Amino acid sequence: MQIQPSDLGLIARVAALGKRYGSGAGQVTALDDVSLGLRRGEFTAIMGPSGSGKSTLMHIMAGLDTPSSGQVWLGDTEITSLPDSALTVLRRRRVGFIFQSFNLVPTLDVRGNVLLPFELDGRKPSLDERMWIEELYEVLGLKSRLGHRPHELSGGQQQRVAIARALATRPDLVFADEPTGNLDSRTGREVLGLLAGASAGYGQSIAMVTHDPIAASHADRILYLADGRIVRDAGRSTPEEIASFMLSMETAA
Amino acid sequence: MRARLKDQIPTLLVALLAGTFGVLLLHVTGMLAVAIAADSVTGESDTVALMLPVVAWVFIVIAIYVSAVVTSNTVATVVAGRTRLIALLRLIGSSARAERGRIAREGLAVGFAGAAAGVLLGTLAAFGLERVAVATGVMPAVDYQYLNVSVLLPAIAVVLTTWLASWVGSRRVLRVRPIEAIGQSVESGREELVRRRGRNIAAVVLVVLGTALLAAGIVVGLVRPEGVLIGLLGGILSFSGVVLAAHVVMPPVLRLVGRLFGRSPAARIAAENAVRNPERASRMTIGLVIGVTLVTTFSVTMESYRAMIHAAIEAQPEVFAGVEGMLNVTIAIFAVLIGFSALIAAIGMVNTLSLSVLQRTRELGLLRALGFEARQLRGMIVAEAAALTVAATLTGLVLGFVYGWAGAQALLGGAQGQPVFIFPGIPWAMIGILVVAAGLLTAVASIAPARRAMRVSPVVALATD
Repeated sequence: MQIQPSDLGLIARVAALGKRYGSGAGQVTALDDVSLGLRRGEFTAIMGPSGSGKSTLMHIMAGLDTPSSGQVWLGDTEITSLPDSALTVLRRRRVGFIFQSFNLVPTLDVRGNVLLPFELDGRKPSLDERMWIEELYEVLGLKSRLGHRPHELSGGQQQRVAIARALATRPDLVFADEPTGNLDSRTGREVLGLLAGASAGYGQSIAMVTHDPIAASHADRILYLADGRIVRDAGRSTPEEIASFMLSMETAA
Repeated sequence: MRARLKDQIPTLLVALLAGTFGVLLLHVTGMLAVAIAADSVTGESDTVALMLPVVAWVFIVIAIYVSAVVTSNTVATVVAGRTRLIALLRLIGSSARAERGRIAREGLAVGFAGAAAGVLLGTLAAFGLERVAVATGVMPAVDYQYLNVSVLLPAIAVVLTTWLASWVGSRRVLRVRPIEAIGQSVESGREELVRRRGRNIAAVVLVVLGTALLAAGIVVGLVRPEGVLIGLLGGILSFSGVVLAAHVVMPPVLRLVGRLFGRSPAARIAAENAVRNPERASRMTIGLVIGVTLVTTFSVTMESYRAMIHAAIEAQPEVFAGVEGMLNVTIAIFAVLIGFSALIAAIGMVNTLSLSVLQRTRELGLLRALGFEARQLRGMIVAEAAALTVAATLTGLVLGFVYGWAGAQALLGGAQGQPVFIFPGIPWAMIGILVVAAGLLTAVASIAPARRAMRVSPVVALATD
């Protein structure tokens, strides 16, 4: 019998992943033979300088982009060659997204944005899910804002709505792409605290792409990418340790 | 989910105009039929009574066809403007089919609203027209029933075609990739070249089939007036072929026209822009090509008709006495009504040009950053609009002349009891009006986009989002 990623306690796994753009002499390698597993319930940061392939890795792991070679699993589902319709359902039910630019639907209020994944699924949240969403509103401090539109909210509040939307369906894995990139440092710290809390308190698996050492210091585990390869797999670290390793990578290159 | 319906206003306007047009035309021809039947001279001839509804439906079908083409292009531009939102919804887990269905449903709703308002407006306009005509003595008072179920037919046709055109125009939704929501990291997908081949084959088939039917219509028209309906079908099919192949047909014309604007940097870039994205250029010009083709078709047909009637009056002045006045009224009414179709086409042109400028904000900012003056930018936009208008007008004139003659031949070739060759009339006045209108349209279409382009600051070209 084949060993499934879940047998190893993994929520996502990639094996011998490669991503190349173009062909011939102009070929660019974004990812080069990357293999890794993300552990269930962990808050993992993927670090690396610009052009290291960290965004490409996230896009492929979330089923938004296809690899040139290798395999990708989400839970026990191999998503490498899933058709678009299956990937759509997968994104709707098993993946959450948080972005640098918040990406809320401008015409919907806070409640509408948070319930959007359920609406796209053509169903109402169950009683259990409704209680969970109420709890999210409470924890994220959105209770008094439910009728507001995104443009009536501050950046930090918008990002909290995006977090609520990402967590509402209790997905297998939440992808966060530079979630603090558009926030001031105090608001950014709050958002990171909320993400770390979701992981520690509710066992939510989170993968966060960032190049900010302070953001990465909130994670349980830090993967460093450089030139499309994993160069280091570290546990929880202080911002100073992360920054000095990043600096050494830059100077070595 | 509440949709942003603001960008659907052009679609609503098109549906409203098409609905109003159809309803008004049916009312007016209904009235004319009653008036002609009541008249002692013309009441004898049933050819006129038979031809009126045929001609009315020819014009209604044309107007609905124009609005369908314009709507599908408008919806395509709407989708281009909403790409980011659609990508976000796709990312969160909406299927491409659901997103496309949403746009089509919007089209259905907008079409319904436009058609309903059109029934109301068309009936009101017909009522007003009757009052004016009776008061000024152009037409005797007639006993015409406004509560007429048949006027709902064009309204239903408008609803259905707006729905269908939205569905056709929304096919770009299927090419929006979820990853586009993430922004700067990925360039938005280029229009696929693979689909072109199927499209080109379809265009050739349509042109060949349509031309054959057009010829058949002319031949049948030598003996029966119904030949014009076969010809109409042929015209629609062959013109649909031209419309489908617009991305092949228009660039050479645009390139030719672009040479006329000189060698200044603004003119050169404008000419390049008009040709660079054939999909966009054809989307912008095709509405106007249709409008000009229509007006030319109509006026060539009418000029030929007038020439025939004049010949008949000279031959038998006593039989055709009084026909001249009625003919002039009919032509005047039709000229106004065909203007509706041209207006529909003009809306398409104005809308697509301003949306295309909106979608090119970054590129305009880059030109500013590289040292283009705001004035040069405005010159570029105006030159672009002019190139598009001139190219569309020329193409429309050539096509319209061919279709106009074919229409006149099919409609009138057998009207005198024996097959005759109808010499195409050249409507000089209409051509003059068309050229002036095209110039005005260029100005109107470029005012808002040019102003917007001038406001673009160089900074936006360098900003990431």
